[in-house]
Amino acid sequence: MERGYSIKTKPIYGTLVWQENATHHFLVVAGEGGKALLKLFQQMVPKQATTIFYLAEDDASKKYADTVQKMTGETITICDSLESLLDSVKTALENCYMGTQFYVAGEEGLIWPVAKTLSEFGVDDRNVFKEQTGSLARRVFCVHCETINENVHHDIHQCGTCGLNLIVRDHFSRHWGAYMGFMVDGETPGEIPAAQEVYP
Amino acid sequence: MSALKVKVTAVEEVAEHIKHFSLAALDGKPLPYFSGGSHVVVSMDINGRTHRNAYSLMGPTSDNSQYQIAVRKQEKSRGGSVFMHENVTPGTELEISMPTNLFAIHRLAKKHILVAGGIGITPFLSQITDLNRIGHDYELHYAYRSAEHAAFREQIEALCGDKAFFYPENETGRLNITELLSKQPLGSHVYVCGPDPMVNGLELIAKQLGWPSTAVHSEKFLAPASGEPFTVSLLQSNTEVVIPGDLSMLEAMEEAGVDAPFLCRGGACGRCEVEVVECDGELVHHDDYLSDAERVAANKILPCVSRANCSRMVINL
Ligand code: FES
Repeated sequence: MERGYSIKTKPIYGTLVWQENATHHFLVVAGEGGKALLKLFQQMVPKQATTIFYLAEDDASKKYADTVQKMTGETITICDSLESLLDSVKTALENCYMGTQFYVAGEEGLIWPVAKTLSEFGVDDRNVFKEQTGSLARRVFCVHCETINENVHHDIHQCGTCGLNLIVRDHFSRHWGAYMGFMVDGETPGEIPAAQEVYP
Repeated sequence: MSALKVKVTAVEEVAEHIKHFSLAALDGKPLPYFSGGSHVVVSMDINGRTHRNAYSLMGPTSDNSQYQIAVRKQEKSRGGSVFMHENVTPGTELEISMPTNLFAIHRLAKKHILVAGGIGITPFLSQITDLNRIGHDYELHYAYRSAEHAAFREQIEALCGDKAFFYPENETGRLNITELLSKQPLGSHVYVCGPDPMVNGLELIAKQLGWPSTAVHSEKFLAPASGEPFTVSLLQSNTEVVIPGDLSMLEAMEEAGVDAPFLCRGGACGRCEVEVVECDGELVHHDDYLSDAERVAANKILPCVSRANCSRMVINL
């Protein structure tokens, strides 16, 4: 890696903090993102209404939801798949107005599908606070067969659809919510560097 | 600054103290196309002095045979609007800048809320033709003092139908901005143009209601403030200019033959920013552009609207 060099499209995530002027807080978290939710409510329990969606694919991650629920008395809608989460989010968005602040915490595999749904409703991405938690696994877009590879931990990654060996770049497409993956042996076929687990 | 030479083809009084001017190119050719919300800077020769004022192009944006502007005669005018009202008649030749747009509609918005106060209606007239063409959802809220001040009301009714709402202050009272901004759907953008208190008020309310600043757009054409005279010495041009009390720094420098940059002449765009190398008093900022940190640092000024309480200032120009 070249020192002092970074790719502009690579997203940089922050830590969730309340937007105190918001008239409504809308939070979507998954897995370890529950810890970010808990930290947020430990900053303050806001005056305004909150809407909370929690994607808990296992019991272990549900514990954060329980804690927040007990602590605040807030209702948390718990979903067991990304699909059902996005559906519930969409339904809830129908009743949101300007002045709603959005918060998302979880792995990139949660953050970007949620951000995309929000943008379909006209929410400016700069106005979605994001915190990355848990695994650094990437979604990788194979530029050759144009499919998404979920949960990529290794650079070099073999595309699940077309089988090409992809080098994973930091170039990030907000449209696809994924990093670009390019064929690594385009110039010298068969010369494939060893894969390393760089996105644990 | 590249300029267009135009001739006034029609003048009409459309409301109390508001005149509407139509301008066509002097050479009879079409004028450049422009987008909704654009303005031009009109240069006027007032007693041997060049005076420049920015005016919104009212559209329609599909018509490039003529430009339409409206000028309100300002009670405390420094001459520009009075000159337009009293000396400019059909046949008068004027020089205008190329159109620039600092108040364009946001194309990704789901809904546009346009809020106009008085003569602040003008940029919306061209924006509306754009919005009608692309078929976006919008509402226009137009506040004015009383029926005699309702410039372009009929035209607006014809253009917007039931999307336009009118607030004659003497009949309906003030437009309630809190109510207006409270229940707008996600993806709305609000645009405001009007007197300072209205623009500042709306910006504040939007912020308090949690609207992101990226969804709030405003345009004010600030008239440069007057003040005490002072001397500016220009490092690069190696000259000194005395700024009289009634001219802005930019105007006085232009008069002295300095080719200083500008775009909006209203403290909004930042194009005229210059570095202040030295100042033996304090800078008096009137712009909407510099950040608080930049104001505290006191090493930049926007000469189109700002000045100083000092005797001498050195700038890097
Ligand atoms: S010309 Fe735009 S800020 Fe001065």
